[in-house]
Amino acid sequence: MNRHNLIFWGLLSLTSTLGYHYSYAANDAGVELSVSPRVCTLTSGDKQCATSVHAQWSSPTPESLCLVIVGRPEIKHCWEHYAEGTYSIDLIFDEDQIFQLRDLPLEHVLATAAVRVIKEAVRLRHRRRDPWNVFN
Amino acid sequence: MPTTHAKRTLAYLGTVLLTILLAPYASANPSCTDARQDCVVPGKWNFSLSLGAGLRINPIDDGKNIPLIVIPQFSYYGKRFFIDNLDAGVTLFENDASTLNFVASPSYDRVYFVRSDLQNFFVPSGSNAFSIAHNPRDSLQHGFTSGSTALPLPRPRISYLAGPEWSFTIANLTGQVDILHEFTGNFHGEEIRSALQIPLIKSTYNLNAGMGVTWKSAALVNYYYGGGPLYRPGSALNPFLKIGYQRPLSGKWSFTAFAHYEYLGSAIAKSPYIARAQVLTFFAGFVYNH
Repeated sequence: MNRHNLIFWGLLSLTSTLGYHYSYAANDAGVELSVSPRVCTLTSGDKQCATSVHAQWSSPTPESLCLVIVGRPEIKHCWEHYAEGTYSIDLIFDEDQIFQLRDLPLEHVLATAAVRVIKEAVRLRHRRRDPWNVFN
Repeated sequence: MPTTHAKRTLAYLGTVLLTILLAPYASANPSCTDARQDCVVPGKWNFSLSLGAGLRINPIDDGKNIPLIVIPQFSYYGKRFFIDNLDAGVTLFENDASTLNFVASPSYDRVYFVRSDLQNFFVPSGSNAFSIAHNPRDSLQHGFTSGSTALPLPRPRISYLAGPEWSFTIANLTGQVDILHEFTGNFHGEEIRSALQIPLIKSTYNLNAGMGVTWKSAALVNYYYGGGPLYRPGSALNPFLKIGYQRPLSGKWSFTAFAHYEYLGSAIAKSPYIARAQVLTFFAGFVYNH
């Protein structure tokens, strides 16, 4: 193999490698995920959030990926060769719910979005002190 | 020269002001940081229902004693406003050791004469919950006579009192002072309620002792217990003692028992409507808290 061929194959290899990473990074940067609502507020009388969460994603290029929720292995919804997708699910939760778009083998995270739980501080007050009351 | 009513009003306002000034000065107590028995979440109604057996001994001669079988209780606490059975009020100041409320409370003496008075069911006070004597007294005591006609029992109107209420905790003692004035226009009298609760045992069950005294002005005593021109009483001082036992059971159930003894001041005891100077109330039963 002469020097020109070596340079050619070397550059081709380098380009392919860089291109792969670039496209992969571009996929990482290009895939956008959003969820709604983004926040659930628990008042003093609430123990859990019960709401329908709507997830929406888009990509500049068709992708094959799955939407999962961290800590909920039973929830997975996949798309093959789509540039956008939506998914709605009714959830009951009292902690932050992390939504992730992953590749089909579920090895790499492509995008992340979360539904945050905000717990309002409960401000207690004293019960009336009434020792004059015969029943207290 | 100020009139007697003006003097009384000035004395009342002076006591109110003194109460307000002295209210913050009490020693500290564990803060209200968790939903213990004495801490509540604002904005919620609280209900409890007691089922058991008890009695209020009627001091009226030939009067019927009142059985205590079912005792409902309810309360609501807002950020400052509260309802405590038939009492309602606003919290003006509160810290861990001291609370100053402005409270409205019914005059309990009416339960002597009107069986349907709600305080015969909600059991807020041990001093006044007697059954009415439907039949007029056959005779009068203490030297009052009416010839051949018995003195009919009066049927007083519902009266409400209002005024400042200071409650405090010092060490493990819980105290309370209410200085109340009747504002419903029936008799323009005053009542001062004071009590002290002393915890005796606090473990898997609680045993508390209590003592107190209630002062009733002459206008109040005369409205309920006066016998017209035959008997015009002065003010009365009613001391009381009580003991209470509470034991939490499983879930929302607990067991409670109490006994309350009150001695009627002479101005009330000498009334032609009253035959006994002692009032005893006792009850034991199971409580469901919602």
